[in-house]
Parts: sequence; C-alpha cells; structure tokens
Amino acid sequence: MEFLIFSDTWLILLIAYIITTISLNLEAGYTGIPNFGKAVFVFMGAWAAQGIGIRLAAWIVEKQDPALAQEALEFLKNHLGQDYPSLVAAAADTDANRIVANQYIYPFLQDHPMIVAMLFIAIVLIAVGLAAIMGLIASYAALRLREEYLAILLLSFSELMVMVIFRQTESLNGGPKGLWAVKFAADNRVFAIIFGLVVVVLVYLYAEKLAHSPMGRAMRAVRDDEIAAGVYGRDVAGIRLKVIIVSSIIASLAGLVYIEANLAAQSLSFDRVYWTFFPWAFLILGGMANNKGAVLGVIVFMVLRRMIDYGLPQLAAGHSALIQMAAAYLSNILVGIIILLVLYFRPQGILPEKPSKTLDFGEILKQEEA
Amino acid sequence: MALLEVKALNAGYGRFHILFDLDFKVEKQEILIIVGPNGSGKSTTLKAIFGIAKVYSGNIIYNEKDITRLPPHAKARIGLAYLPQTDNVFAELTVEENLRMAGYTLPPALVEERVEKVLESFPFLKSKLKDKAKSLSGGQRQLLAMAMTLIREPDLIMFDEPTAGLAPIAAKEVVEKIIWLRDELGKTIILVEQNAKLGLEIGDNALLLVSGRIAFYGKAQELLENKDLGRLYLGLAK
Amino acid sequence: MVEIIPSGVFLMSAIAYAAALGLLSMGLSLTYVTTRVANFAHATIGMLGAIVMLFLIDRVYYEGASYQLFIVGPLLSFVVAGVFAMIMYLLVMKPLQDKGNDVIGLMIATFAIDIILLNILSFLLNAMTGKHLPKLYGVNIGPWDPTIQCCGLELKASNFVLPIAAVLLTLIFHLFLTKTKFGVAMRATIENPNLAAVMGVNTNLVYTVSWFVSGALAGVAGSLIAFSLKDTSPNSSALIIVSVFAGSIVGGLTSIYWGLVGGFIVGLAEKLLTSIINALYNGYFAPALGLPEIAIINYEKVMSLGLVIIVLLFAPQGLAGVDWSKLKQKILRR
Repeated sequence: MEFLIFSDTWLILLIAYIITTISLNLEAGYTGIPNFGKAVFVFMGAWAAQGIGIRLAAWIVEKQDPALAQEALEFLKNHLGQDYPSLVAAAADTDANRIVANQYIYPFLQDHPMIVAMLFIAIVLIAVGLAAIMGLIASYAALRLREEYLAILLLSFSELMVMVIFRQTESLNGGPKGLWAVKFAADNRVFAIIFGLVVVVLVYLYAEKLAHSPMGRAMRAVRDDEIAAGVYGRDVAGIRLKVIIVSSIIASLAGLVYIEANLAAQSLSFDRVYWTFFPWAFLILGGMANNKGAVLGVIVFMVLRRMIDYGLPQLAAGHSALIQMAAAYLSNILVGIIILLVLYFRPQGILPEKPSKTLDFGEILKQEEA
Repeated sequence: MALLEVKALNAGYGRFHILFDLDFKVEKQEILIIVGPNGSGKSTTLKAIFGIAKVYSGNIIYNEKDITRLPPHAKARIGLAYLPQTDNVFAELTVEENLRMAGYTLPPALVEERVEKVLESFPFLKSKLKDKAKSLSGGQRQLLAMAMTLIREPDLIMFDEPTAGLAPIAAKEVVEKIIWLRDELGKTIILVEQNAKLGLEIGDNALLLVSGRIAFYGKAQELLENKDLGRLYLGLAK
Repeated sequence: MVEIIPSGVFLMSAIAYAAALGLLSMGLSLTYVTTRVANFAHATIGMLGAIVMLFLIDRVYYEGASYQLFIVGPLLSFVVAGVFAMIMYLLVMKPLQDKGNDVIGLMIATFAIDIILLNILSFLLNAMTGKHLPKLYGVNIGPWDPTIQCCGLELKASNFVLPIAAVLLTLIFHLFLTKTKFGVAMRATIENPNLAAVMGVNTNLVYTVSWFVSGALAGVAGSLIAFSLKDTSPNSSALIIVSVFAGSIVGGLTSIYWGLVGGFIVGLAEKLLTSIINALYNGYFAPALGLPEIAIINYEKVMSLGLVIIVLLFAPQGLAGVDWSKLKQKILRR
C-alpha cells in the first residue's frame, strides 16, 4: 500500500510517533520533566503484546483447545527436536516462537473473535499497568533530582532496561530477536492503523483538555517555578507523579500500535535514537507546550524524512555503489542537521507556546529581585 | 574639579526603570555615602555607573571624559573599580590565586610587586596565602575583595554594602579600611551602606535615595542631624 | 572450585577500562562545569581515537606489534579528538547557546551531533579501503596489542599504558589548572564567570580550551580502549556513553576531579564487581540453592546504573557534594 511516496509503514510510524510526542509534551513541554528515557515506556506497550501477550495467548489456546496445543508440541518435537513442557513455554522460546505464533496461535485467534476481544482488552490493560509501574519508578527519581541529573538517569534507566536486560534475558522477550506479538486481526497493519488513529484522536483531545484545565495551569506553574508553585499551594510532587504516570501510559500505547503493525520486532529496535531522541526532536521542531505544535512537528519531520529517504536513493540510482551507500548514511546526517538548524533558527519551534494571560509568578519574582 | 560627575541619569534593567534623573558629583579623595530604604536603587546606581545596569539617558563624566557607554572591562582599565556585595572573591581559589587573578591583565612582574604591596596593607592575608578563600570569614573575604581591587590601583572604588551580614567587629574593621583607603592611599570612594548611621559617620557627602530619586544630597553630617529624613527613611532613632 | 578472586591479568584489564572511563567522565564533567553542556557525543568523540589507531595500524604499523604505536597513537588521538570537540563547540554549541537554548536544548543538539558524527564515520570507514587491512569497518585491532611480561604476568600493552596515561594526563591537567595563569583563570571562570570577566579573563577562550581538553582526554581514552573492544566501529560508543554518564553522575557532574573518580569507580564496578558476583552466584549460591545459572557477566551495565542510583539516593549531588570532612568527623566520633 503506497500512496504517493508514503507507505503504510511510514504511516504507522507517524501515528506511533504522534502518540509518543504528545505524551512527551505533557511531561517535558507542560511540566518541565526532561524525560530522556521515553524508549522504555514505549517498549512496555510492545512487551505487553510480545513477551507477555504471546504467553497469555498460548495459555488460552492450551485451555480452550488442548488438542491443538498438543499438536503444536508434537510438531515442534518432530521439526525442532525440542521437547517443550507446555505451549506457553514453547511460545516464549526464541526457536519455537515464530512457528507457534504463526501456525497455531494466529489461526486459533482468527476463529475466536470473542477471545480476541478479551485478549485485546487484557493486553491494553497490561501495557497500561506496566507503563504505570515504570512511571512510578521514574517519578521516584523525578521528585528528587535536578533537571540534568534526571535526564541522564532516565536515559540510563531506559538503556539499561531495553538494551541490557531485555537483550540479555531471552526469557523476557526473546533476547535480541524479540518475540512475535499477539495478532488481533487478519490484516494486522490495517488494524494497527485504525487502532492507532483512535488512540491519536483520544490522546490529543485528552491532552488539549488537560492543557486548558486548572491541572494544566498547575503543570505550567510547576515547570516555571517549582518553589513558587509550592508556595501557592500546588502539590508539586503530586502533579509531577500524575503527569509522569499518565504520559507513561500514553507512550505505552504507541509501543502497542507499533508492535501490532510489525508483529515481530526486536527489543533492540526500541533504542534511544528512535524512541527518545526523535520524539524530542519532533517536539522541539513543533514547539514545546503546544499540542498542535507537537503533532505538527511529527508530521513535518516525518514528511521531510520520508522525502529524504525516498529522494536520495532515487538521486543515487544508477550511480556507483559508493554514492548509493552514501545516500543511506546521508539520510541520518540530514536528520541531525535539520535538528541543529531548528535549534538555531527556531528554538521555540514552529508553533511556540501561547503566552499565558496573567503574569507568571516566577516572572513577578524576577522583577522584584531586580 | 570633580573626579566623577553624574548628570540626569536614568537607568534600570530592561523595561524596569529604577533610577530617575540623578545628579551628583564625587570630588577626589572624598567618600560619598549612598543610603536609602530597601529597593530605592542604591546598588543600581553603582551598577549603572560601572556599566552593568542599563543607562537610558544622562551622562557619566569621569576625569572630564564621557564614559557613559563604555563597557565594564574598559572602565576597569581607566581606574574605576566595583565591588559587588556577594561573590566578589573566588571561593574555590586560594588567597594567592585570587590576588593574582585580580591582576590578570597586568604584566607578571607588576603583579608580583603589587601583591607584595597589598600584602603589606593587609598583613593577615600573608598567613593565609595557600588557603582557599572559602575558608575565610565574611569580614576577611570583604577585605580580600578590597585587596584584589587594589591590585589594579584604581582611583575610584565603589563598594556595594561591604558590611552586610558581618559581625559588628568585622564591620568596623572593613569600615576602618575604607577610611584608610581615602586617607593613606588617596582613593575616591562611593559607598552604598545599609547601616546608615555607620556610613554617615565616615562619609564626607551623602546621597539619600528614595524610590530611585534623590531625597537629599549634601554633607553627610547634615543628613545625620536631619531628624525628619533620618527617622523617616533611615531608622535613625531620635 | 570456582575462582572468585580475579586473575592479575583480568584485574589489570579492569583497571585499564576503569582508567579509560575515568578520563572520559572527567572530560564530560569539564564541558559541563564550563559551558553547561552534557555532551552525548562524548563517547563518539572518544571513538575518533580508536579510528586514529585503526588508520595508524593500517598505514604505518601493519607489520607486527610496535610499541611506538602506543606513543604516536594516543598523542595523535589527543590532537584529533581535541580539535574536533573544539570545532563542535565553536561551530555548533556556542552559536546555539548564544541563541538562548537551555540545558535540555543543548543536550538534544549533542544528540544530533552524535548521529551526524556516527554516520559520517560509519560511511567513511565503509567507503574507504585499507592499505593493508581488507576492510576498515568493524575491525578488531586486538592482535596489534603486544604482550608485556610484567610482575610475572602476561599483560596487554594497552592495559598497561592506559592507567599510566590516565595518571599522567590527570597530573598534567592538574598542574595546568593550578600552576599556570590560564589554568587558574579557567578555575576562576568555572566558579564565577562574571567576576572572571570583570578581572579581564577572556571566558570564551576558556570555554574553547575546555572543549579541546575534554575531547583530547576522550581521544586518548578511546585510542587505548580500542584494543579491548570487539571492534573499532564507531557504534561501540552507544553503550560506552551510558557508563561515562554514570561515572560523571556518581562524581557529581560539578567537579572534574570527582568526575575522574566517578568514572574509575563505575569502571571497576562494571568489570570487577560483576565478575565477583558472577563467580559467587554461579559457583556457590546457584548450586547450593538449586537456582538456575545466570550469566551475570552480561549485565555489567546494571552495575553502573545501580551505582548511580545508590549514590544519588544518599548524595543527590554525587560524590562531589559529600562533605567529606564532616563525614570523617562523624565516623571518628563513633
């Protein structure tokens, strides 16, 4: 499916990025929490459908259709020479996962729409729960550390979880290769796009409503002057905690959309460049503390990136292998350069934050000091 | 002929207009005391003269030259010195390093000579040359800052509340050193002082600022004896 | 019987790694205290040193191991990485700072530079052909690391040179900071840039020099640690940078000396502590309690982050923020 130069792969990535960036905007833009560990929160959504979801699905198959489960285990024994104690164990094993998922779990789910619906709800809840737990852990640091320390700590935390623990520990999510995720519809990409669009609309409306609510004002107060906000009776710790947990939950939905579109993704694909740095870049390009800006930033950036990715090979086609190789690297280099140019020419982004109607308390304090 | 002359000075920070139409002169070897309630623009006056606060209009004449638009480091070169109230020494550097930093732009041989000279005037520093400045007491720090200023041998020294937060004995020592600067070294001094009585007793002339305007300008003794102004603005009893 | 006490050779390689991290963390803290930039490209700048080594081996020292390589390589890396960092500051970071970008904006910028640098290097290494080496991307230069007989141990030259280089460089830098006029001005600027400027210090020059030094230290560390890496591809920096930041945070980010100490501690924890815990668990606890074997050795980064968390819990400003004299008093009184 390719319309103009934009593929469905691109569209799904766009959707997942919009969700992630809106969630990052709630934290970084409105509340001033520099979350540089976004990748791990996104990954939680993927893990819910991969490592956890596929086990859950296998368990359901075992309960609902023991004959099918037995057949699967027999097949694995004959073809892989491996004796798995249960279908759950087989589904979570890197060697058998692909076969179990594709030949047994997917067809079974296709025949049982009620189970699919319940499984879907369960996995969304798991994603949300995991993200909330991660958010709780992150908030522990966020309540105590200064900006830079927090940014670096969250980055290391995310790297550690995704790059080290999930890569090294195969039982969690299949190690570097990653496990196949639960599939909810025959055409998983169409499903992912529809599900993703629904999430985008809901999340956007929620973020807009939040931004214009008393809570939104409280968030900005915390960002602009933590002490003043505290003096004015804002529960600074409570606000930060709430924002981090809500944002983490939203980010996990992006991971769920992404994994549903791709089904088999490596844990490694949730790295700091793609799921932390890029959302930050989108946000800065579009404009912090402005939901429209966040969405616009993703779209502008992704369109540019797609044009670069599409255009460069076209230009390079027919030329030497060296130039074709250069084109592949140039795409990333241009992305880096665009970000630097944005920071230089428009540090407030395309759509800057709208000034608040009343004078900030922090501003008043500054004036008084002067 | 006055060393420094301020004419119709309007100054502030960005949009915040703080000083309005200030006119005053400082003669050679005099101490001008600037007093006034909190937020009346005392510190801003010094900062405006030194080029840290923004001057909107008016002129600052030093040695018959208009220096209104000169940047701070250029003013330092022609003999003006400004001692901020806090952070006026490098706490993490040793006393010796602080003194050498003060002579950063001077030729090394001259720095050696001046450090020697300054140490003669501030003998207590001799035993603390290798100590970090942060180990000094508040009063000692102010004296170190003063010593650093002297390394450059300025003609006009502006002090911003040098006795703030000091114990009475330490404050007395600092004030005595300021008088010494005038009497022994022939320096001209502008002193912003929150302790009005202490300041007015040593000052030659006094400037009382209220809300960025001059409320009194004349002999310090006169202001000290002016019961109304004293009681109203300076908390001087009776 | 499982070996719990690591062998001398392993100990030396752990110390070498820790020394490299120390240098990297010190450089990272340096640009942070001077210009408030937390530089994510720092480890990749260090990889420039590794690439210098690769080229030296390919062009000059291909025939057998040479000790000369261990003098020429680090020195050349010092200059190359230092100049790159300096240019990065002057060309990108300073203009961005002047435009009013905050700490976070600058952090993003270093991220962008990291991506740009990584891709340029990867392309160049892929595109160029070696004079002797069949390819330049992903080469293991370990074979060019000669073995030294010392103290009854067979040590790798790089493991031997790295700690020495770290000590030497730290000493030289310390002398520079305390004995030279410009060095003192640098410390003065770090503490109070406004006052330093009033004294006539060209603070921009101080910042530029601090970036050069930061890059140069990273270059030396990168050139020597390259022999212990799986290969010299620039992407190796991706995991190193996490440890470097861990080291700086443990040190407190506000002090260059504590940055060095923090990096060293993190390096030792990653290598030594992991290996000791691994031996203890798999050699004693797992068999005794019937638990499954775990290759704890693969989780060395867990150690560095764990250390960061412990330090931040007890000392939110890192080791630099600890009042050591007070702590000493407290302990002595008890």
